[in-house]
Amino acid sequence: MRTFVLRRLLQTIPLLLGISALTFLLLQLAPGDFLATMAENPQISPAAIEAMRRRFGLDQPWWTQYLLYLRNIFLHLDFGESFSRHQPVFTVLRAGLANTLLLATSAAFVTWGLAIPLGVLAAVRQYGWTDRTLSFLAFLWLSVPEVLSGLLLLWLAASTGWFPVGGMRDLDYDTFGPLAKLGDLVRHLALPALAVGLIPLAGRMRQMRASLLDQLRLDYVTTARAKGLPESQVVVRHALRNALNPLITLFGFTLGSLVSGSFVAETIFSWPGLGSLTLEALNTRDQYLVMGSVLLASTVLIGGNLVADVLLAVSDPRIRQD
Amino acid sequence: MRNGAVGPCLVAISMCLAGCGGGAGGGKWVDRQPLPPDTMTTRMDEVGRHGGRFVAGATASPKTFNPLMANETSSNEIIQQMFISLTDVDYRTQDDIPMLARSWDYSDGGRTVTYHLRRGARFSDALPITSDDVKFCFDVVMDSTLHPSMQDALFMDVGGRHVPFRYSAPDSYTFVVTAPATDALILSHVANVRVLPKHVLEPAFRAGQFGSSYTTATPPDSLVTSGPWRLKSYLENQQTVLSRNPYWFGVDAKGSRLPYLDELVFRVAKDQDAAAQMFHAGELDGLDNVKAEDYKQYAAEAQAKSFVLYDVGPSFNTTFFWFNLNRVRKPEKGKRLGGPEVEPYKFAWFSSRDFRRAVSMAVDRDGIIRGPYYGYGSKAWSIMTERNQRWYDSTLTAPDHDPAAANALLDRLGWKDRNGDGVREDAAGHPLAFTLVYNGDNKLRQAIAALLQDDLAKVGIKLTPAGLDFNALLSKTRSERNYDACLLGLGSAVPSDPGMGANFWKSRGMTHYWDMEQPVGRPDTPAEARIDSLFQACVGTNDLAERKRAYSAMSRVLNDECFLIWLPTAELRIPVKSRFGNVHPSPMPHRILWDSDRIFDRHPGEK
Repeated sequence: MRTFVLRRLLQTIPLLLGISALTFLLLQLAPGDFLATMAENPQISPAAIEAMRRRFGLDQPWWTQYLLYLRNIFLHLDFGESFSRHQPVFTVLRAGLANTLLLATSAAFVTWGLAIPLGVLAAVRQYGWTDRTLSFLAFLWLSVPEVLSGLLLLWLAASTGWFPVGGMRDLDYDTFGPLAKLGDLVRHLALPALAVGLIPLAGRMRQMRASLLDQLRLDYVTTARAKGLPESQVVVRHALRNALNPLITLFGFTLGSLVSGSFVAETIFSWPGLGSLTLEALNTRDQYLVMGSVLLASTVLIGGNLVADVLLAVSDPRIRQD
Repeated sequence: MRNGAVGPCLVAISMCLAGCGGGAGGGKWVDRQPLPPDTMTTRMDEVGRHGGRFVAGATASPKTFNPLMANETSSNEIIQQMFISLTDVDYRTQDDIPMLARSWDYSDGGRTVTYHLRRGARFSDALPITSDDVKFCFDVVMDSTLHPSMQDALFMDVGGRHVPFRYSAPDSYTFVVTAPATDALILSHVANVRVLPKHVLEPAFRAGQFGSSYTTATPPDSLVTSGPWRLKSYLENQQTVLSRNPYWFGVDAKGSRLPYLDELVFRVAKDQDAAAQMFHAGELDGLDNVKAEDYKQYAAEAQAKSFVLYDVGPSFNTTFFWFNLNRVRKPEKGKRLGGPEVEPYKFAWFSSRDFRRAVSMAVDRDGIIRGPYYGYGSKAWSIMTERNQRWYDSTLTAPDHDPAAANALLDRLGWKDRNGDGVREDAAGHPLAFTLVYNGDNKLRQAIAALLQDDLAKVGIKLTPAGLDFNALLSKTRSERNYDACLLGLGSAVPSDPGMGANFWKSRGMTHYWDMEQPVGRPDTPAEARIDSLFQACVGTNDLAERKRAYSAMSRVLNDECFLIWLPTAELRIPVKSRFGNVHPSPMPHRILWDSDRIFDRHPGEK
């Protein structure tokens, strides 16, 4: 197990190097740079722009820039500075990352909190109207694009006034007590978390249903029923426990998409996460901010997949053997 | 209002008034600081009351709070609330008005300005603002490594040499600036330098850390400001909250301290739709970017939804297109130095004044106003539009819609449709067809480009619109310069003075779009040589009448040549909640909050 994890960790180094080189190259190929938009302002003179170009190191050829970037990372753990903000990249990304993780975790709660009970319900009522209605609703939501479902939820908020239209905090947040602060956060979090969380619901629910049905057909369930256990105990105590096994791995894999999975919803609900930051950095060609954010998202993705593999190994001893 | 005795008794009055009411921070505001000897009385329609807050929309959150390092709107619109300059501009009249300097005099034939600073002005940390702070800020601006963008305006080319402005602080309340030659915009150039506290920032400047001070990561309490507002809190991509600077020297007609509002909030609303939604949901108190297509609806709802739709008139932003007349300026393979960037046969059309006039006559500007502007637009023939009281010249015009005359002009050039496909050909048989690039994410320009295509087809010219990503558009028009024609607009500077547009007017400028970076002293056309010298005349004197004459003359040369094909400009309507008083929206940024210190809430504390 330890060698497995260690090997995977070592593999991430060339992977991240490759990702960074590719991102850097793509940024160079895209037209314009950070200073191009600035040159459009008649009040900023060419001399001022040239001075900035020198200060940011943009006057060097791109490979020199990239090698310098790598050198600073390896020697000083310095990931560069955001051109527009004059701050180290990770100072800028920190708050956004925290907000994105908060949204993604809440969305995961929505998904799994609904998928497991609804999947179980659908399985025990197989082919009944509950099963059919749940499947229909779940698939309906699955087939609506995230942009549209997000906008629908936004419209609900705007027309009823039950929820704020976007944002993360009330203006009076600072004056609230701790309980009111939590309530305010939940109110702001509710719609984006629903928008993100409901999308994988259909899939997860069907997987839960299928996995439970598989178990319910097995002999040990028949035995349990035969010895006179009440049906609820048969399902919850016996079948469900075994049925959850494959879902644990699935859960692990969702960790990988924690950072990137909510970018669209972040934009729709003006959620101040990593998505909006990255998009803005890309649009303004804020080079090292883009690099930092891509590296961060990749690291989380790789880490998530690693956790998923470990979880799989823990839950299924057969994998550990080789 | 400028004698010392009045201050303390006013404090006493406002103390007595304290007690009732809500306001954003709870409790009514009480002025605990004595007023300075030199207060600044702000003119206003109505004496207001204290309390409340105004929530404005912003398309992005600020990137930095450092006024000398900021280069984009989202930072500048907040910075201008927190930091003042020696002088300011009255947005309604475009006049220079006192700010930190209570007065100034000219000497040396207008080359030298002596500023007399207000006594008792304080930073938000209670320490006095003196000429030493102003001098420190000039030292920073003139620093060659930092090279802030306001530095270049403080240099002039005199006799072939690049000469800086000289400045000194002979005593604590006097600051003197001398320009190398007479410069009409000396006050504006000096006002670009906003005042920062030397006692806070000098160590960072000495250590070479100035660029990364006063960033968005700086704790609000250590961000000491000189203006009416200071930073209360900042949340990236969410909101920036400003609260009043308790030491601000501005007072109303009754002598009570400004600003009236407790807080000024900038909430991020990424685009026009998001902002409109937030305004309707009551989360914003005003909106400065309503779409023209929605004006009617806003006008109908104003009463019921308790807001006022202010008619601001034609925007200061202009829209136009031009033909690529750029020459090859740097040696490059496959191109002749000094030769045209476009194919020679296209250059032959584009450089023909009659061709450009014919195109201008082909454009149905009324159609554009009726269409994409939904009737809320007006024709503009110059960089200075109708509401610019100081500079607008109603006699300026250029060839307007006249398809018959356009056709006749093109016929006379000998470019006729010989093969009957509806498109004219030039003498060598090249069809008169070109591509118009514009930024494709701008829906308004997209619609205008489509109308231009129709209009030009009617005179036998084939225009193909091509919407590009903004960055791609910029690199095409600025560095590669391999395009035929481009549709773009210019925003307004503050002040909206032709002298601020040196880069645009001068033939060597970087935003002299149609033919950039011409060799100094040797412009490509006699017309541009004339514009260059008229521009010099416009900024080289302090006589306003003379400056206006020069401005009108250079605009006339530009229009006569049709270097730019002018398009209509949008009318602005700005909705603001009717509970706010002393609101005077302006076409210049920030359109609603430029005079935020006098805006007040009629019902503070009520929802």
